[in-house]
Amino acid sequence: MTEKKKKIIIFVIFAVIIAVLLVATILVSAQAKHESIQESMKDAVLHTYNKVNFFGLEVNPSVIAAFLITAVITVFALIVRIFVIPRFKMVPGKFQMLLEGWVNLFSNLASSNSPVRNKFLGGYIFTAGTYIFLSTIFELIGIQWTTTSGASVSLPAPLSDINAAISLGCLSYLIIMSGGIVSNGLRGVGKTLKDFSLPISMSFRMFGALLSGALVTELVYYYTALSYVLPVFVGVLFTLLHAFIQAYVLTMLTSLFYGEVSEPHIKKIRPKKAGGKTE
Amino acid sequence: MPLNIDWQQILLHLLNFAILFCVLFFLLYNPIKKFMKKREDYYKNIDDEANKKLSDAEELKSSYENKLKASDEEIAEKQKAAYDSFSKEIDEQRAEAEKEAESIIESARKKSLKEKEDIISGAQTEIAEIAAAMADKIVKGNTSDTYDEFLTDAEKDEK
Repeated sequence: MTEKKKKIIIFVIFAVIIAVLLVATILVSAQAKHESIQESMKDAVLHTYNKVNFFGLEVNPSVIAAFLITAVITVFALIVRIFVIPRFKMVPGKFQMLLEGWVNLFSNLASSNSPVRNKFLGGYIFTAGTYIFLSTIFELIGIQWTTTSGASVSLPAPLSDINAAISLGCLSYLIIMSGGIVSNGLRGVGKTLKDFSLPISMSFRMFGALLSGALVTELVYYYTALSYVLPVFVGVLFTLLHAFIQAYVLTMLTSLFYGEVSEPHIKKIRPKKAGGKTE
Repeated sequence: MPLNIDWQQILLHLLNFAILFCVLFFLLYNPIKKFMKKREDYYKNIDDEANKKLSDAEELKSSYENKLKASDEEIAEKQKAAYDSFSKEIDEQRAEAEKEAESIIESARKKSLKEKEDIISGAQTEIAEIAAAMADKIVKGNTSDTYDEFLTDAEKDEK
């Protein structure tokens, strides 16, 4: 069989599968929606109706999403720590290179923006960047979870919840302040307080960016007619790009401000006034 | 709270992030950083060793060059000393030869002088003998008045 014939057969098989799936999605009646698009989008912003149970607490789905992501990352990190890192080679393979590159990206960001003190900062922005990136991509999987009212919701990106965004924004601000205190004491606190709008701007920037992506995705997936082809572009534009951009923006801003406030204070030497006799 | 901000959920997110920080920092970030530092040190060590070996080699090269230079100087000195002693010997030999030549010339001169004197004295004797023979011949062959007068005068003087 020639190469060309093989290609044609594969193409036909895929076309048939796609056609069957397309017909099936139209013929099979969708589950009755328990909320309108307005309610759905309002809930995506305010999280008023859809609450989930978390060890007896009624929380937003983003809390479950956040802990799920942490669990997945923990398992992955344990496997890597136990089976991969001890087998690291001096000349790295592809996976080792990926891990080293990922660590190096944040480590370099920390050391370039805060040359004086950057070990803890490197670890922090590594965690924050990884969390923002993976938690935003997590939205693409669309894991279903049952609400306390019995309805099913797709777990969103945790940071599209205002509470998660505020927690990360404020934590970043506290980390920046801690760097200032350790390096410059009270002067560091003063330097950090100078940018008092930072926690709000960081929180709401992230919240707004991720929420907009979540809303567009919600809108697209709500209507069956919009669920063909379009999600590919929406997914890339509003999820992957946001994941990368927001991870980069928050980590860069944190390291930049951390470096600024942890910079050692150098006393300015004022030139003495020439009061003596002139020659 | 506006925007449905819930402090309990903020704290839950903070707790989640704290757990994640511990996991990622101690299980991934730190070990990978340590490994990278170890590798950096390893290659730095190799680099340092190579540089040290290079500097040792440079040092060795310069020491050998110095030794070569010193041996060249030594060879030149020895050559000069050998040349000096050789030229001195030649001078001595020349002086000796000159002296010998002078003595040979002197002895030859003396010998020739002696031979000359001998020849002269031999010639004189011969001349005297020839003169005596001639006189004798004259005396024996022709008695002249002159001779008689001479003899008479000589007898007179004796008286």
